[in-house]
Amino acid sequence: MTTEVINLREIILGVLMEVMEEEAYSHVVLREVLEKYQYLEKRDRAFISRVSEGTLENLIQIDYILNQFSTVKTEDMKPAIRNILRMAVYQLKYMDNVPDSAVCNESVKLAQRKGFYNLKGFVNGVLRSIARNLDKVVYPDRQAMPVPYLSVTYSMPEWILKNWVDAYGFDTVETICKAFQEEPPTYLRCNLNKASKAQIIESLESQRIAVKEVSCLDYALEISNYNYLKAVDAFKNGWVQVQDISSMLVAEAADPKWGDYCIDVCAAPGGKALHLADKLKGSGFVEARDLTEAKVALLKENIERTGVINMQANRADATIFYPASAEKADVLLCDLPCSGLGVIGRKQDIKYKMTPAKQAEIVKLQRKILDTVYPYVKVGGTLIYSTCTIGAEENQYNLKWFLEHYPFRLESIDPYLSEELHSKTTQAGYLQLLPGVHHSDGFFLARLTRIG
Amino acid sequence: MALRKIRIMGDEVLEKVCRPVEKMTPRIKELIGDMFDTMYDGMGVGLAGPQVGVLRRICVIDTDGEPYVLINPEILETSGEQTGNEGCLSLPGQYGQVTRPDYVKVKALNENMEEYILEGTGLLARAICHECEHLDGIMFVSHVEGELFELSEEDEEE
Repeated sequence: MTTEVINLREIILGVLMEVMEEEAYSHVVLREVLEKYQYLEKRDRAFISRVSEGTLENLIQIDYILNQFSTVKTEDMKPAIRNILRMAVYQLKYMDNVPDSAVCNESVKLAQRKGFYNLKGFVNGVLRSIARNLDKVVYPDRQAMPVPYLSVTYSMPEWILKNWVDAYGFDTVETICKAFQEEPPTYLRCNLNKASKAQIIESLESQRIAVKEVSCLDYALEISNYNYLKAVDAFKNGWVQVQDISSMLVAEAADPKWGDYCIDVCAAPGGKALHLADKLKGSGFVEARDLTEAKVALLKENIERTGVINMQANRADATIFYPASAEKADVLLCDLPCSGLGVIGRKQDIKYKMTPAKQAEIVKLQRKILDTVYPYVKVGGTLIYSTCTIGAEENQYNLKWFLEHYPFRLESIDPYLSEELHSKTTQAGYLQLLPGVHHSDGFFLARLTRIG
Repeated sequence: MALRKIRIMGDEVLEKVCRPVEKMTPRIKELIGDMFDTMYDGMGVGLAGPQVGVLRRICVIDTDGEPYVLINPEILETSGEQTGNEGCLSLPGQYGQVTRPDYVKVKALNENMEEYILEGTGLLARAICHECEHLDGIMFVSHVEGELFELSEEDEEE
């Protein structure tokens, strides 16, 4: 047998092609690639992740730079050439330890290997002139062109920025964009029915995991310095659940009472439903539903690991009305499918794939689900509406629409939140969390009571 | 010791099932030495009997500086999966993407006809699978996903 020298840049190009040209999700593709090439050295694997993630995170800025130097615009280039150039610009701009000449030579070779012998000169020319003139690139001015400035600086599509700037103002949007570029923290929710907080902290620290307490929730912990979650004892024992702060606030705001019947209509992977089950302390019941067998399997896995007895996973389509559930729920969680713009910090490619048209489709689906499931709530019972996105279309506008058409009223969530989160809107009954402004992902939640 | 002539794909000898080795002879000892020389000369990481025209169940492997002789090898266990490009001295310059187990446990005899167990992961696991298949007349091209591709001379120089 003979072996070919593994070309790391060719692997990275494969990742970019799958993510940017074929609708695959970056975190899935990268995980699969790292699994396939697990025999590579740690340094090489780190190079693959860094260049793939960095290129995707900074794509708009990279294309802006390329378009200053290339007469052919990136959108008109052949897909392979476009992505070879993108990853090269990332290395030129952000990786000082890779020599410019190596970036140019490797890119030319890669273009040739991919069958673009006649474009070798083009790739070489564009990259060498970028390498020479990178510090002379003129970026959009912060004062004169605020939206293009934000778009190129933080690689955010302009249509999203325009909506946000209208709603929150330039400075807040810049804070959000900055937060997306930082490594998002990992939070754990402790199940205090199973172990005390001190016990959990001790167990985590004995595995050399750095633990920090969180001010707004006493059972939440921020952790860092862990490698592989499934090897963490506290996780294996079902003492902790990985969950963002924003998502923990859902069960807080739902505030289930002893013996309550709860339904979560889009539950997978089950963090919020498990949280409800814990809050019920074994009483009542939580029915966790989701659309596909795979998602239900995920729910079942989590139920088994945590050993909760008052929760069940069922496969059910949230757009189909189940008469048996009518007026059955004391608490109904509607954590609906959304554009996911609140979690861009965790999944870089979401921002490029969402479009106003796709978002309009999502709003339609959200309204269809709400229209289908609202009758499950008992009169006097609670409906929690939540999404992991930022922006009025899927949040405030949906809420307004719902209140106009259905027998519900908003109810203050201040009693369930720590004081630092209180505001006019929480008093009214809803909360929009913004990354950078709050210590969490972007998230929206509202508490409604059925009145008729 | 000497270099032997490597048979190229299309040669029928590469499609035959090999006979086991019953006892060590001076001729087989010499063959093993020649196989190592031929493999190292061709920059290969493994070579099997039929590739030098000998229909006996013998292969040599060296993926990381540790040479192994496998006589009458028998794969006991495999697990996992790896996908990567693979080539063969019997098909010079051509490569193709092949998915193989990521872990292999094989039982074989060494050059003194003593039984031993070899466990390999990654490249070694790939080489064990590739060479053992030669002994049953199977070439890696039958597993290639997608197209075979050629590494141009310019690439190899660089």
